[in-house]
Amino acid sequence: MSDNLGLAQLSDHLLIVAVVVYSLAMLAYAGDFAYGRRVKAAGAAGKAARPVPELAGVGASGGAATPGTPEGPEQPTAAVPPAATADSAPGDAGRLGPLIRGAIALTYLGLAAHVAGVITRGLAVHRVPWGDMYEFITALTCVTVIFFVALMMRYRAWHLGVFVMGAVVVALGLAQTIIYTPAGPLVPALKSYWLAIHVAAMTLSVGIFFVAAVLGVVYLFAERYSRRAAAGLSPANHGIMRRLPSAVELDRLTYRTVVFGFPIWTFGIIAGAIWADQAWGRYWGWDPVETWAFITWVIYACFLHARATAGWRGRRAAYIQLIAFGCLLFNVLVVQTFLTGLHSYAGLG
Amino acid sequence: MTDVRSPQAGNGAAAPGVAEEPADVAGETIAGVADETETPRPGGFGAVAWARWAWRQLTSMRIALVLLFLLALGSVPGSLLPQQGIDPAGVQQYFTAHPALAPFLNALGLFNVFAAPWFAAIYLLLFVSLAGCVLPRSFRLARTARARPPQAPRHLSRLPNSVRYETAMTTEEASAAAAAFLTRRHFRLSQGEGWLSAEKGYRREAGNLLFHVALMGVLVSIGLGGLFGYKADRLLVEGTSFADTVTDLDAYHPGHLVSPNDLAPFSLTLDKFSASYVASGPDRNQPESFNAHVSYTAQPGDAARTYDIQVNHPLNVDAVKVYLLGHGYAPVFRVTDGQGKVVYDQATPFLPADQSTYLSEGVVKAPDAKPQQLGFAGVFLPTAVDVSGQLESAFPAPYLPAVSMIPYVGNLGLNNGVPQSVYQLNTTGMHRLATPVQVLTPGQSMKLPGGAGTLTFTGYRQWVSLQVTYDPGQVPALISGIAALAGLVLSFLVRRRRIFVRTYRGDSGRTVVDVAGLARSDVGGGFEAEFGELAAGLKSVHDHDSSPRSEETE
Ligand code: HEM
Repeated sequence: MSDNLGLAQLSDHLLIVAVVVYSLAMLAYAGDFAYGRRVKAAGAAGKAARPVPELAGVGASGGAATPGTPEGPEQPTAAVPPAATADSAPGDAGRLGPLIRGAIALTYLGLAAHVAGVITRGLAVHRVPWGDMYEFITALTCVTVIFFVALMMRYRAWHLGVFVMGAVVVALGLAQTIIYTPAGPLVPALKSYWLAIHVAAMTLSVGIFFVAAVLGVVYLFAERYSRRAAAGLSPANHGIMRRLPSAVELDRLTYRTVVFGFPIWTFGIIAGAIWADQAWGRYWGWDPVETWAFITWVIYACFLHARATAGWRGRRAAYIQLIAFGCLLFNVLVVQTFLTGLHSYAGLG
Repeated sequence: MTDVRSPQAGNGAAAPGVAEEPADVAGETIAGVADETETPRPGGFGAVAWARWAWRQLTSMRIALVLLFLLALGSVPGSLLPQQGIDPAGVQQYFTAHPALAPFLNALGLFNVFAAPWFAAIYLLLFVSLAGCVLPRSFRLARTARARPPQAPRHLSRLPNSVRYETAMTTEEASAAAAAFLTRRHFRLSQGEGWLSAEKGYRREAGNLLFHVALMGVLVSIGLGGLFGYKADRLLVEGTSFADTVTDLDAYHPGHLVSPNDLAPFSLTLDKFSASYVASGPDRNQPESFNAHVSYTAQPGDAARTYDIQVNHPLNVDAVKVYLLGHGYAPVFRVTDGQGKVVYDQATPFLPADQSTYLSEGVVKAPDAKPQQLGFAGVFLPTAVDVSGQLESAFPAPYLPAVSMIPYVGNLGLNNGVPQSVYQLNTTGMHRLATPVQVLTPGQSMKLPGGAGTLTFTGYRQWVSLQVTYDPGQVPALISGIAALAGLVLSFLVRRRRIFVRTYRGDSGRTVVDVAGLARSDVGGGFEAEFGELAAGLKSVHDHDSSPRSEETE
């Protein structure tokens, strides 16, 4: 198998462009937080009451599950006429300030370079572009950005972009520096169509869980802020918080994101077990990587259960979700590279 | 369609003992489990009361949560410490490196976590909890599958989604039109004087149950494999054979209920092993492919068939699978002793000491040599090169094969009852013969000083390590896994929701319609949109079907 060096180089360059453009997007999102206030003054009043119309409608229906006040009395839920929800839906882009519109454009631009980088890498090595750790991270962050963009097209909370872009830039930056592996062929153990299936599912789900983790962190800030605001410790209408969805909405968005990723992750584990059976003669053997995938899966299951348990939803559930993602990161960054095991996923190059 | 049940019966059947209203109505909780209130601890001494309390605790969501956490936590040492089943050599090393700590960890079962009693205790408790939680819910679901939704709440406008509009119809007409509309959309109805409840989405609960039951299926399947399966290793040199019998297998690990007669009666010969490696560039020496060409007979007397066992491509003989795990070189040596007799002539598997160059180490033991026993320890180099006086292997493929062996004479210590590794020489009873370091290429010999004998390196063969496994739990585990996934997706995709309609005469004398909706579970979101669409549909039905009579009143 001869690897196409020209394409491989093009891929590297495209991915560097992606990181740079994402960084600019992040700056633009941040700039909007800092300076975008006046531009949006007109829409601000309406937005403050309901920053993300569709989300707000959803939030209202979960009266009992108010994460902001875990065990508190039920919120009085006003009747929301469906017509109103429908009419005021998508906060149209016209109301967004120029900085944030620039940030969105940069996000799309970066994503284009990112997707092209992943595809050219695959073309250069004549296989799926997730055969080593570097490729895995570039592919999963690509999923993260795609998922984020899809989420935002639907829910219009573009201001979350600063957090998502920040996290993606860090991950991609790490991939391109210490984890970077030049394009090369696969070791025999990885030559299987299960690589395409199993690792694709893992890439997808980890990319989605990445978004959930970012949302979870933002939720914790929003939740803390809303508690402080309720106690009179923080100004009730802080500029930054006003631009983010409310804690209730963030909580729901996080939950949905995890719910989206969880079956894919489960599928990925099953596919991995089938592959392990073909490659190593057993479908499950408590290899360190398998063990940590199991731990991660169990803790995400904890999160889903916590959401249905009185006294555990809200903040505690959010922490559980972050622990689960922590285990995921630990598996990818530490176990797969440093602990001995059967996984011949080419580690640090 | 207008099968009207008394609201009490409908409610009771749907969820016995569960406060259906008003708390449940407002939230998205799962009847009976999610928001269970703390069961008060029994005050007296009644054993039954205590048992019931303990059972309720065990099957509560809170305990399930704690057990899940413990399960995750308990797995952690299994990945950080070497495990007996996976890496016994690592455990040995750990004992040597931490002589004080290791016995303590061993007593806690931390070198065999996944077989430790405490780990079993966690998952068995979890599965008892699961059964105690899921089975009652299954029965309840079976009952609700035929039950009707409960009576509509009195004040629909208090529900999270509601609309109110007026229609020209009479209240009866409006009710009937709404019922027809919702039935067309596959809602299940119950109706009463001026109210109507409709529910849809029972498959969500069914999906959730399927998921949890399938998890139990996975555990049972793993148990099946542990009881009836077996696993063994076998190192096989090119040109040799083995049969799938207990004596012929190297490391044999049978399940608890496996007897030697249960082993599949196949036999297998390694005809040829070949490997290819990346020859240049940054990935030089990295393997590209392995292929073990074997011939096998499934039953004694059957015709022999051939197969290429490769990584990711095991041989399957009657549900027993044979995997290629590793490979190496077996240099062939001939040893002539001091009396001129050939006392050793065979391929000798050497173990790779360097995975990238396949520099391999091994020993030769000639216990029959006279006057004294002979032993040799040394290295095999597939591509031998001299790197500034140091002998090294430059490439894993056998381009310039060579060996370098150090001779010993004396007592090999084979008869003192202590089992010895075939890969190591016990030199305590031997002394090293003073010879200069010699590099032998195929066909070359080295003469031992003092007429002790001769060692000839006649050539080399390759060996493979094979794993033989039989696991009857495999297919059930896969089916359970797929069922779990299907249940998960079903429970996430389907939302269980109710629509309530009340019709009554308003102050103006016109018929007022209150429509309210409630998602009992709306994981995927989007119930508002569905409700809006349903409410709009109902309204247009009520607008359109205006009968002439109602127009007269206008
Ligand atoms: C082996 C351990 C368990 C695992 C891995 C597990 C996993 C899960 C997962 C992934 C979900 C979300 C899927 C869905 O909503 O259908 C879930 C939901 C649920 N589980 Fe479990 N579970 C376990 C044990 C239990 C136990 C012991 C109970 C009972 C106490 C239980 C009760 C529930 C309930 C009531 C839900 C629905 C919650 C909701 O709708 O949000 N589970 N479980």
